[in-house]
Amino acid sequence: MAMLGHEGERDPVDTRLALKLYEEYKTFFKNAERTRRWNVFDDIPWDKIRKDVPEELALVVETFCAVEAYLPDYVSGGLALVRPYMGSLWFQTNWGYEESKHALSLQEFLLQSGARTDEQMVDLQNKLWAGQRWTPLFQTGRQMTIYGAIQEQATFVFYVRQRERAKELGHETLATIFDFIARDEVAHAHFYEGVVKVLLEQDREGTLRDIATVTRDFKMPAYDLVPDYDERVLVMRELAGMDRDMFFQKVYFPVLKAIGIGRNDVVQAMARQRREAQPSAE
Amino acid sequence: MADTSNLLALFREVVEEVDKKKLPDVTEKSVIADLGIDSLSTMQIIGELENRLDIMIPDDQLVKLETVGDLLAVVERCAAKKG
Repeated sequence: MAMLGHEGERDPVDTRLALKLYEEYKTFFKNAERTRRWNVFDDIPWDKIRKDVPEELALVVETFCAVEAYLPDYVSGGLALVRPYMGSLWFQTNWGYEESKHALSLQEFLLQSGARTDEQMVDLQNKLWAGQRWTPLFQTGRQMTIYGAIQEQATFVFYVRQRERAKELGHETLATIFDFIARDEVAHAHFYEGVVKVLLEQDREGTLRDIATVTRDFKMPAYDLVPDYDERVLVMRELAGMDRDMFFQKVYFPVLKAIGIGRNDVVQAMARQRREAQPSAE
Repeated sequence: MADTSNLLALFREVVEEVDKKKLPDVTEKSVIADLGIDSLSTMQIIGELENRLDIMIPDDQLVKLETVGDLLAVVERCAAKKG
């Protein structure tokens, strides 16, 4: 039985799972249409853009742009993993649309503020696309769904903190962009959390095992593709005041709470994996 | 069970199980990161200590755990509350 690409797209679809995922998507999309849609050109105060963007802030925006540059890979990779399930497939396409707005608004901010030139942005894109392609960090739709829940929550926290930083510096245009993006990111996290809850109902032990795997091997997207990624992230973390404690308190534990499990469920799943990895005594 | 020297011995045992590290010289003053234990392993170590001592540490207390002593103090407080 296909379980979000778990056993291959040619397997028969689990009807109950398909219906639940469709409901999750419908709720997500309904809320998006009613409460969350925004327009890159009309809803951002471009007329208030300032030309004195500190380089550290420009670097943050540029790094977000660089990570978003691999959006086509994220979408195609994600679609391949969730292929049998319409709810997840349609979410993935809608997600791609929303993320493309994020990339566009961030890039426009860099260009209109004068923090970067057209040529610099093209040069960056050339470096990013120099024969590199993003591939999913995990091998199944279920694992990537769990990854999505954590990663989107992390991005949400990051954007909220950067929004506050932009406000402090008096960059209202950028603060508005970060605010819109943060709202989208947390909505994405909630969708993934809803799906993980469904998956836990369907196969608790297997899903806990996957949560343990994703927890152990978690990395932010494109960490190995963006030039000077480590240095960029260091600046971003310092500006956002983001450290490992904060990651656990504001990202990881809230995700676990939202999907209805405790830290100890994951610790026990990790312990089971350790035991299974040990060679037999015989 | 939950006095400091016993907890330190238990900490050593759990680290060896979770992280495959032997720490004969570890003290309460040892900085966790300096022992090569990352935050994910710390979470697993705490989980294992919780299991063995049958306690539950609230998530919000798992911050600013810089030294082994910081970690063991949280464990000790929870164990004491349990009685």
